[in-house]
Amino acid sequence: MQTFLLILFGFLSGIVGGMGMGGGTVLVPLLSFLDLPQKTIQAINLIGFLPMCCIALIFHAKNKLLKKDHIWWMIVPAVALAVIGALVADKASNQALRYCFAVFLSAVGLWQLIVAIRFIISEKKSSARSEDKSSDDTADKK
Amino acid sequence: MDLSAKSKWILVIFSAAAGFINGFLGGGGGVIIVALLLAVVKLHQKYSQATALLAVLPLTVVSAAVYLFRGNVDWIPTLWTTLGVVAGGVVGALLLSKLKGNVVKIIFALVLIAGGIKMFF
Repeated sequence: MQTFLLILFGFLSGIVGGMGMGGGTVLVPLLSFLDLPQKTIQAINLIGFLPMCCIALIFHAKNKLLKKDHIWWMIVPAVALAVIGALVADKASNQALRYCFAVFLSAVGLWQLIVAIRFIISEKKSSARSEDKSSDDTADKK
Repeated sequence: MDLSAKSKWILVIFSAAAGFINGFLGGGGGVIIVALLLAVVKLHQKYSQATALLAVLPLTVVSAAVYLFRGNVDWIPTLWTTLGVVAGGVVGALLLSKLKGNVVKIIFALVLIAGGIKMFF
């Protein structure tokens, strides 16, 4: 049963990841339903991401979606601090990591919700404006 | 496009934070990297999402290596889950063009909040 759930949870988070929306943020809470230590879950998330990332990058490179300007300003500090983060995680308790992930996840969720709602509101406003303009134009012609 | 010194510092500081989070929590750095590419480098959404993978790959490799060398990897559940992730990834890539962006974003945000609340208990 656990094997089935591991594949299912991997599959569901893979769908989200394949859409470029951060599958890892879905996989970690799903795996927390199973009886696995938080550090094992985080390791699964990191390793599971690697093959999918490589496949996606091949597609994106073919479609010319990769813009490499300025990327080293991001990669160098991120890699250095990722090592430190992983070493700190090794010293932390599973419970502390779980709470930290929960706080991070809730904050990102709330942020994404606000961004999406703002975007919908601005889209509706601009479509209402263009409708008003086209009705004004029709009235002028009459 | 050239970046100002201030923009480069913003990239360095926030990318470092993204790297730390990715190593400490085993993921999540990509969300910050995408936001930086959108807001500072001024890439469009689809370029940001694609390019973020290029930045996240090396920091995931080093984080995974640390977890591996510190003995935190359990290979059996890792391999089964990875199998599912790869299959789901292909489906997700095919679905991307068929779904409305904002609907997906709201569903995703609600799933994250629900996941966050669940993990507190």
